[in-house]
Amino acid sequence: MKRIPCSGCSLLCDDVIIRSDGIYIDEVIGACIKGKERFDQTTAKNRIINPMIRKNGELQKVSWDEALDKTLKIIKNTSNPLLYGFSTVSCEAQLKGIELARMINGFIDSNSTICQGRLLNKAKETGITLTTITEIINKGDLIILWGANAAESIPRLLNKILFSRGKFRMTGREIKTLIIIDPVKTASFGVMGVRDIALIIEPNKDLDLIRILKEECCKADSIPSEGVAGIDKDDLKRLLLHLTGAENGVIFAGQGLLNSDLGSDVLKEFLELIQMINLKQEKGRISVILMGGHYNMTGFEHVALSAVGKNHSLQFSNGEFVDTEKTIISKIESEDFDSSIIVGTDPISHLAKRLSSKLAKKPLILIDNRNSSTLNIADVVLPTALTGIECEGLAYRLDHVPIELQKIINPPNKVPSDEELLEKIIHKLKT
Amino acid sequence: MELYKYLPKTNCKLCGKPTCMAFALDLLQGKAKVDECTPLLEPKFNTQYNTLKELLGAEEGQQKELKINVDTDLCDGCGICVTVCPVNARYCPPTLSGKAPDYPPEKHQLFQVKEGKCELLEIKHCRRLDFEGRERECRVCETYCPRDAVKIEYV
Repeated sequence: MKRIPCSGCSLLCDDVIIRSDGIYIDEVIGACIKGKERFDQTTAKNRIINPMIRKNGELQKVSWDEALDKTLKIIKNTSNPLLYGFSTVSCEAQLKGIELARMINGFIDSNSTICQGRLLNKAKETGITLTTITEIINKGDLIILWGANAAESIPRLLNKILFSRGKFRMTGREIKTLIIIDPVKTASFGVMGVRDIALIIEPNKDLDLIRILKEECCKADSIPSEGVAGIDKDDLKRLLLHLTGAENGVIFAGQGLLNSDLGSDVLKEFLELIQMINLKQEKGRISVILMGGHYNMTGFEHVALSAVGKNHSLQFSNGEFVDTEKTIISKIESEDFDSSIIVGTDPISHLAKRLSSKLAKKPLILIDNRNSSTLNIADVVLPTALTGIECEGLAYRLDHVPIELQKIINPPNKVPSDEELLEKIIHKLKT
Repeated sequence: MELYKYLPKTNCKLCGKPTCMAFALDLLQGKAKVDECTPLLEPKFNTQYNTLKELLGAEEGQQKELKINVDTDLCDGCGICVTVCPVNARYCPPTLSGKAPDYPPEKHQLFQVKEGKCELLEIKHCRRLDFEGRERECRVCETYCPRDAVKIEYV
């Protein structure tokens, strides 16, 4: 019986209680449905515990030696491999992944490139104000969900930031104001109280709203009387009043904003708006937290920054880092690769069909712990242990706080951790 | 609230209750009868008296029990009910990420999240049973559940 951090999603709740006999997990207390599913994965039906190789179009169970030999054969025969995923593995494994990419002159990228990485890239130019969950619990008074449905994507987030009774926020829910900006009335609207503001925005009109808020910051009464983007004038004034009057406000930027069709303009102007508000504010500040889903997506940014100096999309050539504008999407689109190593993700179901069909044409090595759509096209499948349950490792929470994940039980069939497996491949390549 | 609308709202205390709201709650639970409110018997409240009788129907005077139903199909274990419940909050220990429920649960604890779903532990310490006055009208767990999985009912 002990409190451990949960590796179900990027919130990495550190108050989940586990009862275990060292072989199985008997009871999970406090974890949400996503965390519970993660712990259930240890004995789930779709768990892979044997290495597999595709022979005559069928995946067949083979020994570890045979699977690794085939992996090395694929790697040695390629000159431009693609390494993708790395957001559901520990930081140590991510470092090994970068080492492997450097060794085989590959292109390495994480899921962050099609998620929060775009905003962090823009933040290099404009700067970004970050905060931590603990600070919001203890001092926060304004919470804005912008294009984020926290109640369904990260179930325990609202519980922690909005309802928890913190040190300087003893009354919890009553003292915190919630503003939701979303085109759809999602489940998150269910927690709204009388003082909260629901702003139903017209789809793809975020940029108009940001521009009006920026103008309004400079001079008063520039809001048109008919309102902006489907939001009326009074609501906008209330929003601005909260933004400039909050002592410790935070904006949760969800996929609605990060991945909108408006391109990167919206992200740049969004960051500029926050800078502008913070300059104008005298007693408080507004910060941003990015709503990444995978539990260690933020970790890759930190590992890549410290190892190479760029937060994602790293191209190596002749063992040296080469700065490139290319991302995983443009690489696959132009078929600029000859094999791929997928680690802990499922690009076949996540990416668009035009991309996944191109990915399927070339040899693919899958390093994962569960059966996914990508398994159906993989040439080699290497199973690994679940980080945070069957092996330990470091992971970064969505607010850039490192959390040490723990080992509770032994992995089935003695499968290695992601770090050990990548180390083994690197070792074999050297000899 | 539906019943309260039709009461005189004068808080005259003639029924023996401190407020009309308290009387409405007792009406709902079947602990009181409409006739116990003497001002209602006056002719000017005739229509309200009749509506109340109609609303309650045959259930008037039948003792009812408080039930908190948690729909486990809808629940996603976010734990908002655990955190927001004022009874829980009084006894839960503070952790780094705010107040978290204890395990094994404290004897006053109403809700706990187990195996990814919320479950009701003990109803007798609920504010609707254990407290007096306005606190008896507590409905926070039902109000703030984002999935509408918690329902307070009198059966």
